[in-house]
Amino acid sequence: MGNIYHDKKLQWLAYAVFFAAIGIVPLFVGDAFLLNQLATYGIYAMLALSISLCWGFGGILNLGQGISFGLGAYGMAMTMQMQTQTDSNPIPPFMLNNSLEHLPWFWEPFSSTAGGLIFAVAVPTFFCAVFGSIMFRARVSGVFFTIMTLAMLSAFYTIILDQQAYTGGANGLTPPASLQIGSFEIDPYSATAYWIVFALLCVATVLAKLLTQSSFGLVTQAIRDDAERVRFLGYNVAGYETAIYTISGMIAAIAGCCWVMLVQYVSPAQLDVSLSLSMVIWAAIGGRNSLLWAMIGAFLIQGGQSYLGDQFLSTWLLLLGGFFIVVVRFLPNGLASLAEAGLGWLSARLPSKSGRAIESVTAEEGA
Amino acid sequence: MDLGTLANALILGVSIASIWLVAALGLTVIYGTAGVINMAHGELIMLGAYSTYMLQVYLGVPYLICIPASFVIVALVGLLLERGLIRYLYNRPLDTLLATCGVSLVLMQSVRLIFGSDPKYISVPEIFSSNIALGSVSISTFRVIILAVTALLVFGLWFLFYKTRFGVQVRAVMQNKEMAASFGINAGRVYMLTFSLGAGLAGVAGSLFGVLAIVLPTMGASYVVQSFLMVVVGGGSLAGSVAASAATGEMQSVLASFTNATLARFIIFVLIVVFLRFRPQGLFAQGGVRR
Repeated sequence: MGNIYHDKKLQWLAYAVFFAAIGIVPLFVGDAFLLNQLATYGIYAMLALSISLCWGFGGILNLGQGISFGLGAYGMAMTMQMQTQTDSNPIPPFMLNNSLEHLPWFWEPFSSTAGGLIFAVAVPTFFCAVFGSIMFRARVSGVFFTIMTLAMLSAFYTIILDQQAYTGGANGLTPPASLQIGSFEIDPYSATAYWIVFALLCVATVLAKLLTQSSFGLVTQAIRDDAERVRFLGYNVAGYETAIYTISGMIAAIAGCCWVMLVQYVSPAQLDVSLSLSMVIWAAIGGRNSLLWAMIGAFLIQGGQSYLGDQFLSTWLLLLGGFFIVVVRFLPNGLASLAEAGLGWLSARLPSKSGRAIESVTAEEGA
Repeated sequence: MDLGTLANALILGVSIASIWLVAALGLTVIYGTAGVINMAHGELIMLGAYSTYMLQVYLGVPYLICIPASFVIVALVGLLLERGLIRYLYNRPLDTLLATCGVSLVLMQSVRLIFGSDPKYISVPEIFSSNIALGSVSISTFRVIILAVTALLVFGLWFLFYKTRFGVQVRAVMQNKEMAASFGINAGRVYMLTFSLGAGLAGVAGSLFGVLAIVLPTMGASYVVQSFLMVVVGGGSLAGSVAASAATGEMQSVLASFTNATLARFIIFVLIVVFLRFRPQGLFAQGGVRR
């Protein structure tokens, strides 16, 4: 028998258990602030998922995931800001402070909630598609692509910081009210908000998992292992790379929208290099080759940061950096490889049981 | 825009170019020879600034001596880094990138724990803080000093790589590591020394930038991206980095005189992306096989 870590049915079972576990959380947590914080962990998990999809299954290390996340977050913040503007007061206050007379043209689509939500996800996705296709068609890959994503991230960061009249500058945007869809208001501290994040995470994970098991996913994994060989087999490598990069960016953009829904705040800090690097660290420590373990990595590290780190933040970051170096040096596939080895050992120790299971299956088929 | 403004912008551009170049020199050496993506480069610059600060405050070393001293200190840090971590990762470029990201986090936090997050200042001799008038243009003396140091370093590197026995060895390893090794060149030692040299150059940049701006644990982060862009646009060679810095420095300065510095930076970053679409190998591609 092979390693049960690679058994697809058991993998789906593990995902089901994982989502059942995080799904029942609101039943036990009464504290609204804690629930809100736990919901933000769902967003971190979504980001780790997107990194794992792009990097673990596509071989594209993206240090600029903050672009998609940040643009999605800004889109959502603009939508929520416009919801509070009325006809008599059509312009957000910070624009008046910067002596703008009219609403800038790129704010217009965000006046309607539906349009705003669509644009919040569509703009970053479109950016990823364009940037990805430019880079991948030029066969910029590996570390060069990583550096270019970093450069784009830094470019967006500076421009958002600089254009204070249009983006709120360093203060960012602070929509005064929570998101309203139709006549329904989503209180960020309610179980509803948690369920929305949970449902989106769940859908994103299932789709991502199905994608990695599809023939598309197999080709991207082949590209990760040897792009040149796949190219010689006649596949359009740039197309596949652009597609997986764009899908990953879209997940991050959705995460950005959810983030603003929960915290009602966005600033250029969401496009800071350190956040994008954190996402990669979550996926790397958890295990980039496993969507589930990447999400667990996000939970472990962000959880550790919140519960151990508040007082010892500097020490914690120091430890995290050291731990990250150790993982990269000795455990390139993260904690997932420990689980893989453990389950492999377990499967080797239980040959009779698995063997018997197979026998019973064949017996049933025979009967 | 009249000619005078343009002349001003061009002269200022030379100064900006020298700043971008001196930040990128260490990275050029490290990336160009060993193909290592050193994300901790910015933090090595930061260490250079802090070593200058420490030498000045605790030992009272004059500023001009602090510059070579920072070179030595940061080169030693680089040596430790190479021996302890980087040398295990030479054939895994993505992992080098990640590991050095971890190193940058560790270095930044350690400095923050030791020195705190408050800004430090490096004092320079009175004469450096004056201005020099060049016709209608006035430029601070310290920027001229940076230009001079940069020119000196570029000349020194050119001499080292093209006129010495060590340089021949480095270039041999760069072109083909196995072949060079079979001719009796100790490739591991060459990598070690070039990494250390690159780190030292970052130290020099740090001791200069510490004067130009304030010394903070986070100061390195702003230099690392632009340094990488210079190296990538240049293609990893010394001449490439010089040309890339000169071009982008001038563009930054001229564009900034039309708009503002931040917008100019944004435009340049976008232009670099477009440029790499058509010349992914950079301005001056290197002929050698990198492994």
